[in-house]
Amino acid sequence: MKLLLPFATSLLRAVAMVAAISFVTFLLIRAVPGDAVDVMASQGDLTTAQQAAMRAELGLDGSVVSQFSRWVGQAAQGDLGRSARFGKPVVGMVAQSIPATLGFAGAAFALGLVLALLLAIGALLAPRSPLPALVEAINLWSIAVPSFVAGMAAILVFSLWLGWLPVIGNMVAPIVILGLDIAGQLAKPLLEELREARLAPHVRAARARGIAPLAVALRHVLPKAVPVLLALSSICLASLIGGTMTMEALFGLPGLGSLVLNAVHGRDYPVLQAVIIVLALGVVLINLAAELARRLADPRMRA
Amino acid sequence: MSGAILSRPGRVALSPRLLAGILLVLLALVPAALRLLLGGVDPLEQDLMALNLPPGDGHPLGTDHLGRDVLARLSAGTALTLGTGAGGALLAAGLGGALGLLALSLGGVVRGVAFAAFDLLRVLPGVLLALLTAVALGQGGGPVMLALGLSFAPLFAEVARATHEREMAADYVAAARVFGLGRLAVLARHVLPNLAGPMVTLFAIVLPRCIVTESVLSFLGLGVSPDQPSWGRMIADASGYAEDAPHAVLAPMLALSALTLGLSLLGEHARRRFDPLARERRP
Repeated sequence: MKLLLPFATSLLRAVAMVAAISFVTFLLIRAVPGDAVDVMASQGDLTTAQQAAMRAELGLDGSVVSQFSRWVGQAAQGDLGRSARFGKPVVGMVAQSIPATLGFAGAAFALGLVLALLLAIGALLAPRSPLPALVEAINLWSIAVPSFVAGMAAILVFSLWLGWLPVIGNMVAPIVILGLDIAGQLAKPLLEELREARLAPHVRAARARGIAPLAVALRHVLPKAVPVLLALSSICLASLIGGTMTMEALFGLPGLGSLVLNAVHGRDYPVLQAVIIVLALGVVLINLAAELARRLADPRMRA
Repeated sequence: MSGAILSRPGRVALSPRLLAGILLVLLALVPAALRLLLGGVDPLEQDLMALNLPPGDGHPLGTDHLGRDVLARLSAGTALTLGTGAGGALLAAGLGGALGLLALSLGGVVRGVAFAAFDLLRVLPGVLLALLTAVALGQGGGPVMLALGLSFAPLFAEVARATHEREMAADYVAAARVFGLGRLAVLARHVLPNLAGPMVTLFAIVLPRCIVTESVLSFLGLGVSPDQPSWGRMIADASGYAEDAPHAVLAPMLALSALTLGLSLLGEHARRRFDPLARERRP
């Protein structure tokens, strides 16, 4: 109970956040002059009556508030409307894209996390090796080199000049690039945290008892850094989503990123809105999970 | 005075990091400098008889798939890339710093609402914000700057809050208030001077990130309008012709990387020197 009470407020806040994001998205999209029916009408002949009928079918008639309440009511029943461009149900299009994006982002994050842990623990145990400098370098890289530039460089070198990888639909290069990006963001603050955690009395006692440095690092130092690692991971989430979208666009991979970018350029507002809200929901859910895990991992937060 | 923090005793040692940062930024500015000194071709002029020319006579960096001079586009894009990024970072500092401070000094409900909004912005990925601004306001420098400003504002607000809390808890502020100094006067005389250093440092850290984000948005087609040669846009345009004209992709890639790497090194130097966040940004 003690654990769940503060969590309930976070849950409420998360619900409020998703609601706020949905409404703002809805408002902004409706504020755009010219809707999907106008786009279609400009491409072919549609009578005014046909346009009005299409607006009614797409839920584009009436005031913004009535449109929003209707949209929420339908969304609650699992109906996010139909794509203005393809006429297919939006739910199906989004659901089809989620596994690819989730798998891609998950693989990149897992790679980044493993790399960051290896680098940080290595740099902690071998301060005179090149590893601490490598942690610095990879951090700088992740800040300063946009992932699409690294991806483009990989395409130039490995696909065009060496001919090792196919350009389109290749999964290895984008996962590695995004993974390095995540590793760069995690490794440095993780190393700082580990260095600090190593000064704790129980860690010094363990070292004084002659326990091997690696065992001390894994058993006593690393657990202390877990809450920070969880917090860092949720901070990484935003750049993970941006990076996934960029990689999908660059390497021609299917997924939510490609879906939303096509929706922007084709003014397919039902799809755009659904993807933005699904992504926001994902971000909020993952942050909630990270917070719950942090509460479980850090006894001080349970009080 | 803000000088209290900025002019800490001790000379500026020319560390390798600082030197590398300065050199890289200068390198990225070379095309723009060449254009200023020598004048140049129109970056939009197409020469359909000279498509995808490799670097050589008349075109020091070659031409792209529409026969446009790569060097001219690169130099024209410098101000655009740097300006949009800097505008976004300034807007973030203004939104986060000024609004954050205002909300903090007003307190109560205003403070709660403002920081809830900053929390919301922190959770939203920058790309999503940019999608929204691009959809609502159309493509262009303004919407991109707004998206950058909104997505980086929470960082500045956080620094404002940390400084505000620390200063308000300080004994000398308590003493000043006992002597009858009003809230606004405390803010102006004690909080603002102590905020200046951290804000400048954070700006130096955020600037390269804004430039990176701007280039990503341009690359995704959410940035400045298509005919403007922002570096991210140049990379996107030329990426389809990378096999025939690798130079047209490589030139903006290298310029962008040099600029953001250089600025990041300078920002890191500033952080190490003034270190406003090392403790405070910890979750």
